[in-house]
Amino acid sequence: MRNKLKYIPALLTGLLVFNAQPVWAAGPPAPSPFNNPLAITLMVLMLLLLIVIGILGNILVGTADFKMKKKKKEGGGQAAATVLMILGLLASTALFAQDAGTNTTTTTASGTIGGMSSSLFYIMAAVIFLELFIIIAMLINIKFLLKVEKEKYASVAEMEEAKKTRLSWWDRFNKLKPVSQESELDLGHEYDGIRELNNRLPPWWLYGFYLTIVFAGIYLWRFHVSGSGPSSEQEYNRSVERAELRIKEYLKAKGDAVDENTVKWMTDAADVAEGKVIFEKSCVTCHLANGGGSVGPNLTDDYWLHGNSAKDVFKVVKYGINAMPTWQNAYNNKQIAQVISYVKTLHGTKPAGAKAPDGVLIKEEAPVADTAGKKPAADTVKKEDKKLVMN
Amino acid sequence: MQVEKFYYDNKIVKAFGLATIIFGIVGMLAGLWAAIQIYYPASSLNFAPTTFGRLRPLHTNAIIFAFVGNASFAGIYYSLQRLCKARMFSDKLSWLHFWGWQAIIAAAAITLLLGKTTGKEYAELEWPIDIAITLVWVIFGINMFGTILKRREKHLYVAIWFYIATWVTVAMLHIVNSIEIPVSALKSYSWYAGVQDALVQWWYGHNAVAFFLTTPVLGLMYYFLPKAANRPVYSYRLSIIHFWALIFIYIWAGPHHLLYTALPDWAQSLGVVFSIMLIAPSWGGMLNGLFTLRGAWDKVREDPVLKFMVVAITCYGMSTFEGPMLSLKSVNAISHFSDWTIAHVHIGGLGWNGFLAFAILYYMIPKMWGTSLYSKKMATNHFWLGTIGIILYAVPMYWAGFEQSIMWKQFTPEGQLKFEFMQTVNNIKPMYWARSVGGALYLAGAIMMVINLAKTMAKGRFIANEAAEAAPLVKEHSAKKEYWHRILERKPVTMLVLSLIMVSIGGLIQLIPTFLVKSNVPTIASVKPYSPLELQGRDIYIREGCYTCHSQMVRPFRDEVKRYGEYSKAGEFVYDHPFQWGSKRTGPDLARVGGKYPDSWHYNHMYEPGSMTDGSLMPQYVWLFDKAIDTASTPAKIRAMRTLGVPYPKGYDKIANRDLMVQADSIAANLKKDKIETPANVEIVALIAYLQRIGRDIKAEPKKPLADNK
Repeated sequence: MRNKLKYIPALLTGLLVFNAQPVWAAGPPAPSPFNNPLAITLMVLMLLLLIVIGILGNILVGTADFKMKKKKKEGGGQAAATVLMILGLLASTALFAQDAGTNTTTTTASGTIGGMSSSLFYIMAAVIFLELFIIIAMLINIKFLLKVEKEKYASVAEMEEAKKTRLSWWDRFNKLKPVSQESELDLGHEYDGIRELNNRLPPWWLYGFYLTIVFAGIYLWRFHVSGSGPSSEQEYNRSVERAELRIKEYLKAKGDAVDENTVKWMTDAADVAEGKVIFEKSCVTCHLANGGGSVGPNLTDDYWLHGNSAKDVFKVVKYGINAMPTWQNAYNNKQIAQVISYVKTLHGTKPAGAKAPDGVLIKEEAPVADTAGKKPAADTVKKEDKKLVMN
Repeated sequence: MQVEKFYYDNKIVKAFGLATIIFGIVGMLAGLWAAIQIYYPASSLNFAPTTFGRLRPLHTNAIIFAFVGNASFAGIYYSLQRLCKARMFSDKLSWLHFWGWQAIIAAAAITLLLGKTTGKEYAELEWPIDIAITLVWVIFGINMFGTILKRREKHLYVAIWFYIATWVTVAMLHIVNSIEIPVSALKSYSWYAGVQDALVQWWYGHNAVAFFLTTPVLGLMYYFLPKAANRPVYSYRLSIIHFWALIFIYIWAGPHHLLYTALPDWAQSLGVVFSIMLIAPSWGGMLNGLFTLRGAWDKVREDPVLKFMVVAITCYGMSTFEGPMLSLKSVNAISHFSDWTIAHVHIGGLGWNGFLAFAILYYMIPKMWGTSLYSKKMATNHFWLGTIGIILYAVPMYWAGFEQSIMWKQFTPEGQLKFEFMQTVNNIKPMYWARSVGGALYLAGAIMMVINLAKTMAKGRFIANEAAEAAPLVKEHSAKKEYWHRILERKPVTMLVLSLIMVSIGGLIQLIPTFLVKSNVPTIASVKPYSPLELQGRDIYIREGCYTCHSQMVRPFRDEVKRYGEYSKAGEFVYDHPFQWGSKRTGPDLARVGGKYPDSWHYNHMYEPGSMTDGSLMPQYVWLFDKAIDTASTPAKIRAMRTLGVPYPKGYDKIANRDLMVQADSIAANLKKDKIETPANVEIVALIAYLQRIGRDIKAEPKKPLADNK
């Protein structure tokens, strides 16, 4: 019972932090911190540190107790003071957490950090630093108490003796009994020589288990009851929207906006060379390095399946058609313009072993893109139909 | 009270022990070979049975069912007799169990290499073998329960609780997941389709890990660790809590293998939270193991058995923490389909299962031969080789998985994918190489163990029947009130029933709604059954084990939609008996491959993958080019599909082959246009038909604007 009581301050503080939620979630203009991953992380961190403080407090009280028994005269006051100090600090953390709660609703107008109001962020950060400070202070205290204890023993033998019954932080952390007192825990079970002890459950294990159960509850609540957690589909749609915005802004800033409506053959040698690199990487498996065609059609003759203007060829490469894959996911518009410009240089090279002509004969690029695009279109459709039937 | 004399049966333990050693080496060799094939595809020898797609199932089945399975049986037969103070219930059943299990393994090895597979991971064995497994499992159960019932020890020790839970749960999993409709002597179709098949399969697959690779091995730990360390078990109370929590929670976690797939979101969430809740129960086992060694750590420095156990338990702790972390959706988005998963399972397989199996062999064999281990030094060297092997295996795989997955997800500022799939593969080839070195070291260690154990056996004399004595169990009614769980430990049948109830709950709550509630798999009108040729092609796809390297599941991520196409929907898979979503992308996803490349591309690619994709890791599939399609099986396949509810018209089985030839001829004609001459009736044509069909139906569906999806 006594052990259980010790956790109450920590638990209470935890509850205070949690209970404060509706207060700050209520203000409609404020984005609820409970939907903000950063805020949740910080809160979890605060809570975890509180638990650590609770455990350390426990150890500190225990060490002080131990000392008190040994040296009744001096020990008592100090131990009591330590306890008081811990309680005081715990309470102050709780107050800070409360403050954090009330502040949010009033400061929504100010700037944000990671999607949460900056003042809330700073307050939470301050609480975390304070908690860290307390932990360090406690650790120093524990170290000090233990050191004092060590010096008390006159002989090595005495110290060894004490060591056997004294518990290390590891033993306390796991609630382990010294091996020498093991017989007290023996249950008297015996199976083929195997005996069983009945050690208490390591507290961190047990409370960790509870924590995962709490996590499970919150998770299911968030994703399937309150609806504040996104479904896979919502997550996807959001990521696409955000990316589209980012790309638009990037392209606007860059001022490079070639597309199927504005594309022209590039004649700059550097561009054509770039196009050649791309061609050799991605096109040669089907069209061969000389453009003569194998799986894909011959690119060097005067026969075109889908038109021969820069705009037409650009569209075929960018979006794909029939067996031709789409390349817009692998290459940007400029790169596609480069590769089609390289293809243009292959025109008329008449490589050996080229594939038989396919498509419509178009001797030269028509001066007006419109007519060039339209005229073969009818034939193309017919061709496509035939292909689909065969597939 | 009169003390009874009796004899422990060591002969059966010896048999299972030897089988463990033999199949351990075979399974590891298969794994090493498969690992080498990944960076050196020519080592498949262009021979169908030794390609990766058939070798990998052989490796996993050999390790799980032959190596760990036999090791568990050896350990159970050894410990159960001693914990019950009784000889096994029936020697006849023991030997039936032994030879039955070995016959299953032999049949599995042959059929898997021949490509006879159901196409469901870790449940690849075809229906006659499934039935044989059920029978042998029942024999094992009768033998185990017979021994428990005639025991001379009043209470059941915690190891036996784990054995009981193992038996009952594996029986349930195996039967439910193996429901299939036979088409011929060695071919069947899964009763379930698509999303439902996936859920059942991973409910099984995940719990095969839980109840074939974890609970029996925990039971072994509970017996052999305290024996080897000569220390009392740390906490009885922890045993109780972690045992019941473990078996109850484990069964729910299966859907974490299907995060971000077409599985309904609610089922995915259950998979997530139960995986997280699994950390503590799993760690309970680790704590009970490691804390039992308190006061015996000086022995660990000396004794190789304890060394192996400590690393095994530590690996268990690591992978049972990593597993729940990988079940968080944001982590899973990176780890899934990558080599990260491979690293994770090998921490469990090489570390936990392998090392614990080695430990118990090193413990039992000297004891049964009445001697001491031939060479402690050799065993210690085995320990170090194995440990370095594990590290050399796992680190490159973690690296490869993380790096490749991050590369898959990268975009240029213009919104193009930054890397082509092949670039990401080229980048991790050195890691594949390093991994096989790690595996080779581990295997070398195992071979050292074989020599050491053989010399130990030669040194001692085998005690076939070990004498023991104990007082018989008498019914006594003591007035003393017993702890509630102590009462349970006296009632094995109650324990069995309670275990079954515990493990049924999670499965029922997940499976039943997925089958009965229609909204879980929304219908898509444009999704139609496969044509006969496509169906034959799909069976070739399954036979060659394509699913071992290619997934068919585009997850709703921006990069995957860009790379592969629209993300997969539940309604697309309603005719997929079995589902082929896969679990690993050594090659790219194929869910939208239909229509992506010309027929001739596939033709050339299957003949010599490197000709279409420079640097490809895929083996050649030359035998598909002259083997004729098995058209004789078409009617039976169509009939089986009709039974399963696939809406082929009545009597279609009789005319299916006519349609098959029409489609095959059109593909052959299409290939001819690209200067490829091929007969129409060969398997490659069927496979092309299937590949060109995958993921296409949904494109006929009217497009919904993005805003409607929210």
